[in-house]
Amino acid sequence: MITRWNKRYAIIFAILMCVVWVASSRAQEETVQEENLTAEQVMFFESRIRPVLVRECYSCHSTRSQVKGGLWLDTKAGARGGGDSGPAIVPGDLAESMLWSAINHQDYKMPPRKKLSEDTIADFRQWIEMGAPDPRIQEVTRVNTKITQADIEEGKQFWSFKKPAPPNVPVVENTKWPVTDIDHFILSQLEQNGLKPACDAEATTFLRRLSFDLIGLPPTPEQIAWLTRNWEKDREQAIAHVVDSLIAKPEFGERWGRHWLDVARYAESSGKELNLTYPQAWRYRDYVIDSFNDDKPYNQFIEEQIAGDLLPVKSDEQWAENLIATGFLAIGPKTLTEQNGLQFQQDLIDEQIDVATRVVLGVSVACARCHDHKFDPIPQADYYAMAGIFKSTTTHYGTLKTFQNRRSSNLLVLPVEDLNPFDAKISTRELARLKAELADKQKELREYQFQRRNQRSSDAKENPAFSIVKVIRTTSEVGALQAKISAYDENGHPYTYFMGVQSADQPVNARLLVRGEFDKPAQVVNRGIPQVLTDEPVNIRSKSSGRLELARWMASHDNPLTARVMVNRVWQHMFGTGIVRTPENFGATGREPTHPELLDHLAIEFQKNNWSVKTLIREIATSRIYRTDSTFDEQSFEIDPENQLVWRVAPRRLEAEVIRDSILAISGELDSERPRASLVAEFGTAMIRDGVMISTVGADNPEIKTGIMSPGRMQGRTAQVGTAAVPGGMLDVGRSNRSPVIAKIDQPVKYRSVYLPVIRDNVTRSMEVFDFAESSMVVGVRESSNTPDQGLFFLNNQFVINQSDAIARRIMKEKNQVREQIKLAFLLAYGREASSSELAAAESFYRKFEISPSRFGPNRSVQRLSAVCQAILASAEFRFVN
Amino acid sequence: MNDQLNPGWHPSRRQMLESVSSGFGFLAFSSLATMALAQEKQDGRNANPLAVKPPHFPAKAKRVIFLCMRGGPSHLDTFDYKPELIKNDGKTGPFRGSLLKSPWAFNQRGQSGLWISELFPELGKKADDLCLLRGMNTDQPVHPRAVTQMHTGNAQFVRPSLGAWTLYGLGTENESMPGFVSVNPAAGTAQTYGSAFLPAIYQGTKLNGSRLSGGRFRGGRLDVAPDLKNPRFNDSQQRNQLDFIQRLNKEKLRREKQHPGIEGVIESYELAFRMQSEMPELMDVSGEDQKTLDLYGIGGGETDKFGKQCLLARRMSESGVRFVEITHENWDTHFGMSTRLPQLCKEIDKPVAGLLQDLKQRDLLKDTLVIWAGEFGRTPYAQGGDGRDHNNKGYTTWMAGGGVKGGFSFGATDEMGGEAVEGKCHIHDWHATILHLLGLKHEELTYRYAGRDFRLTDVHGNVLTDIIA
Repeated sequence: MITRWNKRYAIIFAILMCVVWVASSRAQEETVQEENLTAEQVMFFESRIRPVLVRECYSCHSTRSQVKGGLWLDTKAGARGGGDSGPAIVPGDLAESMLWSAINHQDYKMPPRKKLSEDTIADFRQWIEMGAPDPRIQEVTRVNTKITQADIEEGKQFWSFKKPAPPNVPVVENTKWPVTDIDHFILSQLEQNGLKPACDAEATTFLRRLSFDLIGLPPTPEQIAWLTRNWEKDREQAIAHVVDSLIAKPEFGERWGRHWLDVARYAESSGKELNLTYPQAWRYRDYVIDSFNDDKPYNQFIEEQIAGDLLPVKSDEQWAENLIATGFLAIGPKTLTEQNGLQFQQDLIDEQIDVATRVVLGVSVACARCHDHKFDPIPQADYYAMAGIFKSTTTHYGTLKTFQNRRSSNLLVLPVEDLNPFDAKISTRELARLKAELADKQKELREYQFQRRNQRSSDAKENPAFSIVKVIRTTSEVGALQAKISAYDENGHPYTYFMGVQSADQPVNARLLVRGEFDKPAQVVNRGIPQVLTDEPVNIRSKSSGRLELARWMASHDNPLTARVMVNRVWQHMFGTGIVRTPENFGATGREPTHPELLDHLAIEFQKNNWSVKTLIREIATSRIYRTDSTFDEQSFEIDPENQLVWRVAPRRLEAEVIRDSILAISGELDSERPRASLVAEFGTAMIRDGVMISTVGADNPEIKTGIMSPGRMQGRTAQVGTAAVPGGMLDVGRSNRSPVIAKIDQPVKYRSVYLPVIRDNVTRSMEVFDFAESSMVVGVRESSNTPDQGLFFLNNQFVINQSDAIARRIMKEKNQVREQIKLAFLLAYGREASSSELAAAESFYRKFEISPSRFGPNRSVQRLSAVCQAILASAEFRFVN
Repeated sequence: MNDQLNPGWHPSRRQMLESVSSGFGFLAFSSLATMALAQEKQDGRNANPLAVKPPHFPAKAKRVIFLCMRGGPSHLDTFDYKPELIKNDGKTGPFRGSLLKSPWAFNQRGQSGLWISELFPELGKKADDLCLLRGMNTDQPVHPRAVTQMHTGNAQFVRPSLGAWTLYGLGTENESMPGFVSVNPAAGTAQTYGSAFLPAIYQGTKLNGSRLSGGRFRGGRLDVAPDLKNPRFNDSQQRNQLDFIQRLNKEKLRREKQHPGIEGVIESYELAFRMQSEMPELMDVSGEDQKTLDLYGIGGGETDKFGKQCLLARRMSESGVRFVEITHENWDTHFGMSTRLPQLCKEIDKPVAGLLQDLKQRDLLKDTLVIWAGEFGRTPYAQGGDGRDHNNKGYTTWMAGGGVKGGFSFGATDEMGGEAVEGKCHIHDWHATILHLLGLKHEELTYRYAGRDFRLTDVHGNVLTDIIA
């Protein structure tokens, strides 16, 4: 049996692209041990060192001035942590202390204008050699909470923090109506409020609803015909049959996986100001889709994403899957331009806490970063108890090292090989050539950096513009070459990289930070889990980061929230709104459940059924309430305008993916095969600008560019690639002497929308126009707007027009008569027969519609029919489901 | 219900349903719509999220034109006159490096006698309209993050932008046009016009300004937004097709009895059709006379590009767009300042002065708030002899029109111009003040997300009441 202990053999860290957590790991040690300084040491610092720092360094390197090079010297943590180039002071180690070489004008020249006196330099030598005693510990305050133990105990009585209690299935008056237990809960509350459920929907309405909900695609005419035939014969059996067949399709995982990707804020780039690609993020996407298709127990699914790297496994394959799952913690948005390593680490930890707690538990613990939670009894210290867990974790997300990117990290290598088709092997000769080129570039870069430093310190002789531009450009080139080289082992064989997390070598506790500010530490807080959420404190061993314990606690049957939060999400995706209408907030400021007993019933059953999402969906899909009509009823509306009690299944607008995929399905052009990896993976490390990916390596090298340039490697898509100059300037990446390769993000591909590239702030047109989830945030409820922009999309967009042509061609192939063709179009698009007046209107439009003669585009009869098909797609019915 | 307020009005249920279910426009359907429907039923308010909303209190400014100067324009060479810096030129300053006096002369301009650099000869003529904020400061010393903070108040997290908050607070006056437009925002600045957790309806529409760089507008028109033109059908063909679409929609609506989503679609198609013609019309400046084009410096040359942006801004404001932002780059003068800064100033001097004059002569300046700002300023000491470094501790922005005092200067930096010392205006204060000028209380303009009420100013912000006319 392979366990996590053999990680040394399998995890090879990428050797390059590597700015490791120097700053953070050193600061961590400090938080654990306090130094005991002697009076002499303090005296030495105060008389010989501090005045020099104040006089010579603070104007550029202090929290009160600028932060040149990301270096603070006015706090101990800042000095030990160091700046962009490494630690400023390593106690007892002159060679490793950048400050020492800088004051000796070895690489940096500091202070820039005048070298310190020999005596002063000697003082610094003595100080560093004696271990750099530094008494500048801010008065460690103790932040006391106003939340008492009694408040916490009282808080535990809040409905969602108590374990679900098995409710009795309620008795109803109309005993004939219910089919499943769910129906008893729904009907009971309707009856109590003087409401009646709507009547059953027609077979066609039901089938369209079910098909969209389960697989995100419209029903086929054959499926419609079958269910219509069996609807009156044996409805229960017919429904069960259709549900089972849909739930078994691979399209099921593509549909439900995407719901999860919304809350997991999945994207393939860092977002924010410097937007760089995550070429390995797709592995997490496929993991999610496969997990839903495999009906992986939901608690296991959670465990893997929080601590997959630490779970015991039976095979390398299983281990690889678990490791990829931890991408959940790594794919968030990142401020790569952040100068301060400590700030960056705090923000990363905060993002991980926020996502993990809101997605899995439906509580926002991150509210307590700067002060006690205002509404739920979560003291600030409880936040830092969780922060310790993530502080004891390293996050690996890659990103191209450029001049602006101060926070790239390394990636991890999978224990099994799982290459992309475009990760081609390269020859050792080519590899050697790349390495030689890198060495040259690095030498060049050092020279430019040296020139630049000298220029800044003395009066410039050369135009400073030249040196800074050279540094920017060469840094990007070095970064791109490093990224390229690090993709291969020494034989030119590509590595299989992934994004994820690992446990730090030494687990640490975090300090509470006053107002959440990284330079205002207060007391140390032991690693742990918010008290109000646990009956018994979760025990975290001193050698353990606590992440495994956190995962196990989240996944346990005793957790009051995990199951409730997930069944609520599933309910919401089937009915449009959840039982709790704030799916990420089950706390005091969230909405209360409309059906608390039903919620608990579903949660308990979910756990009993081994956390099977498919079983839960089947349970809901076969209920009586799920098949009711969506007809408006004035009386019911008067009593319950929000449909909180579910007197009908409310109509919904379809999501962006469903709209695009349905258009492709109807035209028959949908490529239902999963493309290997993603467009972003194919393109590799790159930066994003205005809807294009830009890479600066490989364009002039035929061996390398095959991966990027060759069209058609991914199913059904012709790569649109070209070269263009990158805009230059001080804020931009330097102009390279290589031609950068660029590729559009929005490509005319025909696979399912879940496989389209998801690049933060650069969403493809067909997704963006229909309220695609904002991928920098946890999105439990998507918006569904009706905007004129959507109208313009349906009226004028080239994709819509091309697909309307394709539908026209398809129906012309299948039917001879125009009337029959139009009837088929209605059936395909709306899943029902056209009414006679619709048909008449369509035929009349078709007859009168004049096509202007044109040498371009399809022939006139296709164009005329296409105009009809486009109108059918454009009308409201197509984008709504009843 | 408002029955007490309107004792004479007793609508039947049917009437009530009819009245509440119309006019949803762009309204998000599902939960938001039904909640809004319920809300409307309760208090009779218009539930369309873009409907004009009354401000919290009466205020002069109705709309904003934000002139975003990206790169950090030097306050010391434009709007912040520092005689002490001139005297101490070349000396080692309190920071580092040697102090650098402005190579350009300052003069007192207008009746008010505001000190303005000779780099802005035209804008100087408008001194009596300007309200200089000379005590600006912000948290971020690097470009991308400072630009983000200037727009959203927060460089750490993704937050809604100033324009999105404005639109959320006030709605739009022209539903044929987007309520918040950002012309030609720089690459990588999606957050500056984003809506983050606010409903996407409040997001800024990005117009592609790259076509503005040509000698003339192409054919007098601009192709600035996606899918505005059908590649195959002409207007009358498209109208026929749209009539057929609307017929299907109305039939669907009749079957469903009540369905705000479908009403929304019906309405949005008519708006889309109007936008299709209105948007290009707005972009079509062939109707502007030569005098106007000259006023903005349009007609080739250095002022052409920004002049066109300013003219577009006026046209959009005039048509009822609530918040227009236009961007000018690149003010990052680390080096070569003596040649680059005059060039940059020249590019905007005439266009901005022209915009102020044009707004005034159309009687729009009184209720249009014009804001000029970069993300930070620059240091009093030299960088490489002919440049200045970033300075977020002190800099100048200005406002004009929209209820601010004209010919007025508020706040000050220290003697050398390094740090704000008087009338300090942090970026949160700046946001609070802008919202205040629009009649919005920054503490009350909130949106509930992830369990708490968020606002543009987070937990900060003081309104600079001294600058209000």
